Amino acid sequence: MKQSGLLIMGNGGAAIHAVSAARSAGYEGEIHQVSDMEGPAFNPMLSPYYLKGIIPWERCFPFGADFYRKHEVNCHFGSAVERLDPINKETLLNNGRKIHYKKCLIATGAKAMAPPVPGLQESGRAFTLRTARSTKRLEEVISTAKRAVVLGASLVGVKVTEILRKRGVEVILVDVAEQILPRSAHPESATLLQGYFEKQGVDIRLGCSLNSIESDTRGVRCLFPEGIVEEGDFVAVCTGIRPCVEFLNGEKIEMDQAILVDEKMRTSVENLYAAGDVCQGINLMTGKREWLGLWGNACYQGRTAGLHMAGVNAVHQGTMPQHVSPFFHWTFAQLGDVHRQGKDVHIVSGGHPEKGGYHLFVFDGEVLVGVNLINRFQEIGSFKTAILRRLDCRRLMDGGFCSTYDEIVERIGRSR
Amino acid sequence: MKQLAFSFDVNRCTGCMACVVSCLDQNDLPGGMVSFRHVTKLEQGAFPSAKISFLSLSCQHCGDAPCLMVCPTGAISKRDEDGVVVSNRSLCVGCHSCVLACPFGAPQFEHGTMSKCDFCHTRMESGMAPACVSVCPTNALGFGNIEELTKAVKEKASVTILSSLLTTGSR
Repeated sequence: MKQSGLLIMGNGGAAIHAVSAARSAGYEGEIHQVSDMEGPAFNPMLSPYYLKGIIPWERCFPFGADFYRKHEVNCHFGSAVERLDPINKETLLNNGRKIHYKKCLIATGAKAMAPPVPGLQESGRAFTLRTARSTKRLEEVISTAKRAVVLGASLVGVKVTEILRKRGVEVILVDVAEQILPRSAHPESATLLQGYFEKQGVDIRLGCSLNSIESDTRGVRCLFPEGIVEEGDFVAVCTGIRPCVEFLNGEKIEMDQAILVDEKMRTSVENLYAAGDVCQGINLMTGKREWLGLWGNACYQGRTAGLHMAGVNAVHQGTMPQHVSPFFHWTFAQLGDVHRQGKDVHIVSGGHPEKGGYHLFVFDGEVLVGVNLINRFQEIGSFKTAILRRLDCRRLMDGGFCSTYDEIVERIGRSR
Repeated sequence: MKQLAFSFDVNRCTGCMACVVSCLDQNDLPGGMVSFRHVTKLEQGAFPSAKISFLSLSCQHCGDAPCLMVCPTGAISKRDEDGVVVSNRSLCVGCHSCVLACPFGAPQFEHGTMSKCDFCHTRMESGMAPACVSVCPTNALGFGNIEELTKAVKEKASVTILSSLLTTGSR
């Protein structure tokens, strides 16, 4: 049976960088790319900037429509993968077509996930923000909305909240956690951010679960415990994502939350690779394979997979939890593990976002393990290096802990 | 591909900050904004053998630039002709991903978009050295093609080792 070269499943940052890397490494064989979406690669990171009116729609497709011709890609767009058969090295598309391959990359990304709240799944007034299509749908509903409920005070939830406030929509931001940004912000930083968001007119309800939702064509009624009812024009569901792996149908590919890969982006099945939000690579802080959805990491993983598929012995050592985002007029950043617990854990924090910047450092013993910063970034690269290299920051402890940002910067510099 | 780079001799730098001021001036950077080049002081040891060193750093125009890789909009690119990493501010959305990726603290933000050292390309087009290099009073900063700079550093190291061997031999 004829084998058709490389098969790239997906059309995001990881897929694009895989194609680009394979061609740049001199791979001259066929490359087939399959995606259930039509059109060029969409960058979900840019959709908030589009909805805030910062960039036009076409800028959400940064690689352009010409990418596929330039890289001689056989595109099968608008066709979902129904079944992947890694034993026979073939894939079946939902239009009935079969594609055979020598090596295959799964870079199908992740999709928004809705919690099992009665009435939510079937609601016609519940919207997510992930794909080009969902961005357009959200834009349409925002244009006429006066009041909305945002489920999930995660990074996406907070970004959607900001978009809505900028467009004059009243927002109730709800999360079951006791703080906003429960994964990326330390409780102290979260309290500061919460106060700031409330000043922007956001109604925040924390530690609050949703019992059920009732919907009709005009809007939604959200039923909370203790008989509290909130009405809105729609619900934005920002409660997490899950990898797009439906086509695997129980194939024996090693998985945890997502597909497990090694430093060469190989899965447990020969000639099958995975990259981007669909896979779990190494977290350099723990040495374990963890699901870290990061655009930059996805691009590096895709490039590594593309090179390796083209015969170059490339590796991607891994990454660490990290994030940076502008929220209204503040910019918030997180590095590493800000929720570390233990008897040796020590927090150093200070400053103010509007008076030179806020910082929060988490030390475990003598090692810096986590950082939150607001409006202060000049030295963030050295903090990242300090965390990754597990620098012995013993000098930070001389005569007690440093209390100022400048002291910590200087002493981390010395430790390097 | 040609790759321009800065060279820096830590033994020559006195921490005078002329490079920082010339960078601010050349790039018309507003007061309060950090220069595209910064100088870090490094104190080592204690009296009577204390030592102070200075390190002048700007964008390193990396061969495999992480800022370029993580930029979601394609606002950062690497010029084919000289390997200089440049930013197109009209494409920048101000997401700050580049700041998180850069180990040198090179990206700076002004009015919400990123700008950084571009090797003083307007000066270079007129045959002049970058502003920071041209004002350095001790010649601690230099620039050139990375292969030539590397060769010069190797030659200097060879001379140092040879001199040290000759000195040792004459004793």
